[in-house]
Amino acid sequence: MNVAQRLLAKEWSALAAAILAGFVVLSLLSPEFLTEFNLYVMLRSFCVVLVVAFAQMLALGVGQLNLSIGALGGLVAIAAGGVMDKLGFPIALAVGLGLLIGAAGGLANGLLTVRTGINGFIITLATASVFTGVNLGVTESIPFYNLPAAFVAFGTERFFAIPYLLAPPIAVGAALAFFLARTVPGRYLLAVGGNPQAAELSGLPRDRMIVLAHVLSGLLAAVGAILAVAQLGSAQPTIGADWLIISFAAPIIGGAALTGGHISVAATSLAVVLIVLIQNGMVLAKVDPYWVQFLLGALILVAVGLNRLRALHARSE
Amino acid sequence: MRFVVENAGKSFPGVVALDGVSLDIRPGEVHALVGENGAGKSTLIKIITGLYRPDEGLLSIDGKEVRFASPRDAIAAGVSAVHQERNLIPRFSVGENIMIERLPARGGLVDYASVHAEARRFLDMIDPSMDTRTEVRRLSVAQMQIVEIAKALSLEAGLLLLDEPTASISGHEAEALFAVLRRLKAEGKAIVFVSHKLDEVIALSDRVTVLRDGKTAVAGDPIAAVSRSRMVSAMIGRDEPVANLGVRKTLRDDAVLEVIGIATTLGHRDLSFTLNKGEILGLYGLVGAGRTELARTLIGDAKVTAGKLRLNGAPVSIRSVSQALRKFRIGYISEDRKGEGLILAHPVRSNVAITVWRRVLNRLGLLLRRRESEIAGPLARKLEIKTPSLEQTVGKLSGGNQQKVSIAKWLAVEVKILIVDEPTVGVDIKTKSAIHELIAEITRGDVSVLLISSDMPEMIALADRILVMRDFLIVGELENNRHYEPMSRRIMNLIHGDFAGKGSDAEWETTSG
Amino acid sequence: MTNAEVRADRPGPQAWLVEQSNLLGLAAIIVLLWMAFTARAPGFVTPFNLFAISRSVAIDIVIGYSTMVVLATGGMNLAIGSIGVCSVMLAGYLMQKLGLPVPLAFAAGLALGALLGFANGTAIVRSGVNSFIITLASASLFMGGMLILTKAAIYNGVPPAIAAFGRMRWGFISPLLLIALATGAALLILFRFTALGREILASGANARAAELSGVPVGRVVVTVHTLSGLLAAGAGLMLMTRLGAAMPSIGEDWLLPSFVAPVLGGTLLAGGFVSIIGTILGALLVATIRSGLLIVQVGNFWLQLFLGLILLFAVMVDRYRGVYAERRGLGRSS
Repeated sequence: MNVAQRLLAKEWSALAAAILAGFVVLSLLSPEFLTEFNLYVMLRSFCVVLVVAFAQMLALGVGQLNLSIGALGGLVAIAAGGVMDKLGFPIALAVGLGLLIGAAGGLANGLLTVRTGINGFIITLATASVFTGVNLGVTESIPFYNLPAAFVAFGTERFFAIPYLLAPPIAVGAALAFFLARTVPGRYLLAVGGNPQAAELSGLPRDRMIVLAHVLSGLLAAVGAILAVAQLGSAQPTIGADWLIISFAAPIIGGAALTGGHISVAATSLAVVLIVLIQNGMVLAKVDPYWVQFLLGALILVAVGLNRLRALHARSE
Repeated sequence: MRFVVENAGKSFPGVVALDGVSLDIRPGEVHALVGENGAGKSTLIKIITGLYRPDEGLLSIDGKEVRFASPRDAIAAGVSAVHQERNLIPRFSVGENIMIERLPARGGLVDYASVHAEARRFLDMIDPSMDTRTEVRRLSVAQMQIVEIAKALSLEAGLLLLDEPTASISGHEAEALFAVLRRLKAEGKAIVFVSHKLDEVIALSDRVTVLRDGKTAVAGDPIAAVSRSRMVSAMIGRDEPVANLGVRKTLRDDAVLEVIGIATTLGHRDLSFTLNKGEILGLYGLVGAGRTELARTLIGDAKVTAGKLRLNGAPVSIRSVSQALRKFRIGYISEDRKGEGLILAHPVRSNVAITVWRRVLNRLGLLLRRRESEIAGPLARKLEIKTPSLEQTVGKLSGGNQQKVSIAKWLAVEVKILIVDEPTVGVDIKTKSAIHELIAEITRGDVSVLLISSDMPEMIALADRILVMRDFLIVGELENNRHYEPMSRRIMNLIHGDFAGKGSDAEWETTSG
Repeated sequence: MTNAEVRADRPGPQAWLVEQSNLLGLAAIIVLLWMAFTARAPGFVTPFNLFAISRSVAIDIVIGYSTMVVLATGGMNLAIGSIGVCSVMLAGYLMQKLGLPVPLAFAAGLALGALLGFANGTAIVRSGVNSFIITLASASLFMGGMLILTKAAIYNGVPPAIAAFGRMRWGFISPLLLIALATGAALLILFRFTALGREILASGANARAAELSGVPVGRVVVTVHTLSGLLAAGAGLMLMTRLGAAMPSIGEDWLLPSFVAPVLGGTLLAGGFVSIIGTILGALLVATIRSGLLIVQVGNFWLQLFLGLILLFAVMVDRYRGVYAERRGLGRSS
């Protein structure tokens, strides 16, 4: 197959086409679309959403659902922000603490899921509440505003249209793609998701992989939270409150199967691009922001419907 | 390696799967394991590969006793197996699937060059044309089986166990497989070969063990000393008498169901037969012959894509299970009693009444438990279902009683055609005869029964006529004179394909894709 | 050897106690909490606080039922909050902007809830896709649609009779509680005394076996989702009487309590078994803690934490009980 054929065969080619079409339409309809500032704005919203999508993507990869990504993110946000604001921690230490909390939260989720054998959905629903509870209890809904200038600067500065904030998510995405494609634990993770019984029969450590997926999911939620704090310039306890649907929308639109084993960094990234594009388009068109929520739901349904059609078509061949 | 199973015993609730079975697998030999479905082969294999632990008896490798806590232990000890079911990761490449148990890696990173090179090495032994980079989900069933075989070979184990390895492959690939097995044998490996294809068994193996009803019928005799007919006799010979069902009268000219040249979404093509009123029509065949699939089509769970169906002379189209039951009065007792036939968590009362819930409402449109009990009670008594009460959870009953419950629910709704799929698997002997008598008795009330069974004595005891199926086709139809020896022989010959005197694998035409 | 008589009666008192041990345990915890809260703050048992609790528990009960009926088939409904708020906003709009009488507007709200539920159920059955994804997406879809249409208005110009009803008090009980209990009674009749109820539980316990026994599983799933939507709408309308207005924030925080109440009460996540009384007790526990924390002035902030921990605890206990009951050879019946 030549390059063109191979590209077309990729499942995300429909997505890429949609994005291209969207770009064309928006640049024709709105003179502000292709301005440096607008691209900068789009890329900034892209940052947090991408990492959050990756967090859920990993859980989906092993056939798990993680409802606590937003809540954990909120907790990390106020923890990192809080220690910088109230305890004067240096940035590196605060970030380190945040990541540690994310990993610990993920570890708790993973261990509870495999040890009790209970559906990850209910476990993470419960832990989400716990995380939010701690968050609200500690902050009493009051954000931390007093953050180191360098940190806030990182969140706003840019190189032409490219925000500095974009560097971490891109790095994370590349690392994740590499992890899943080229490392042994990454391949094992996908194997466990792709066919749990076969993986077990082949002696792969299924429980350990599920815990690993949850830990990584929590870690990524933490990264997303820290980026969000930098983006907003303050540690808001409400960070993560609206992450739930976005975290599922992107991987699902990108073709992830709820049953596990099939996730793609590239497809998920493209899905995030599409979502950000739609959001941006709404803003430019001065459309009610509520349309985004509506469209997200519709987009998920369409994506899922198309996936099903494709699966049915493949089976009948 | 020399792998010895000594006096293995394994029981499950209600049934003894293995009883005092021994198997002596020697290095440098191909040891065949044969037997009917339910003989215990699969249980024995699961014990050898570490999936089950034996209740009695022991396993030893080269004289030293071993205990496997999981499949991983067995693999580590040098036992590698190709199972009947596929165990591949759909989105991984052929190469990765073959090497999945020990991916070549350097510093935590997968060494793909090695993966494909190594995989290539083993794949070449059977199918040099397959690309190791193809995703497994794009392969045909036959190709997937080849990958599994290569995977088992790659473990370079001391004992290689193959469970129906030629179920989906034939011709060149099967020949290639046999060549590989002969070479491994020459290298001193021990090989266990499970197959229904007796000609392959005779051609390939050095010694053969025949299992029957969980016991050893032929214990590792050299193949030269076991003729084909002796093998068949050992598989089917029985001690216990066949149930006496008295004189059976059936009206042969009253066709209740006519199947004319149908094709189905499940793979049948041009299938035809007739079921007469009050008759027990048997459908005999091996696993994978297409019998359950036929049953599923007749109850509306799968679609007919060509041909005609007629019920009592009138053409019909069965669109759903609900319609099959309510409009056409066709019922189905599934072979998967626990998964499909019963709701284990619910009580006997509701499991029996489920088919008639909508019919026993009172004037207010309410369904009272008392009404359910009024239906379930008499049936439970009639079928002699042993349960402390109708409220007992069905999951707690023995296999035999569970099966009676799943029969009872069809009696409750007064079906006209009942398709019975493997009615006595995992059922104790006494309940087994009771169920046989029950099946015979309901046909006296003008219910017509389509009996699917892999149990030869059961089939010969019950059926008035027997259809033999293979590869989704009907290969023969026999009037049953109820004499065990001649009937079983004729059936076995139809199954094991000595039709038209063709002897070797390569000459057979397989009709599967 | 034949059974002379197969008894149709219920299992003996000992088995019954074990079966109900979950509910008894739950009731015991509730009693303990009440005692603890009252000891710390005597204001807990004042008629007014009891009234407040009764109002809040009534709504939690109906929310719990909305999820419970879907859990019965082994599915879930993440859109209950969205359906609730859509129904309320429709009713509010009809009353405030179109001047429709209260009963008509409420009926319209309920009808909308049922309709949205029906849409969910149909999408799930037709597409064969997991109820999690479908209802996650539809939650967003419905909510977004509602916000677009209403521009997030707050309808507080609704007839004062509504707020008056919300304030009505019979001693220390709100009539809302009676509505909730009546709903419970109706559901009890459904699950215990109707063919549909049996079919729902059968579909949840083993959809394949139910299907092969002639139960129209697809239709059953659509029905439970419709019912779930109806109940969500009901809960929303009940909340409206308490708030005295229709506001878009309704339903935001329903997800967790909607699961906690049934699961604590013994309804199985996997389907096939529901406990109507259990859901009431579960809701009561949630309402007790919410009110208690408020009274003791610990702050509503810690409520989430407690709820999460309780849910974890409940799920683990349920697991343990399942294993324990298996070992003791005692069964559960529906």
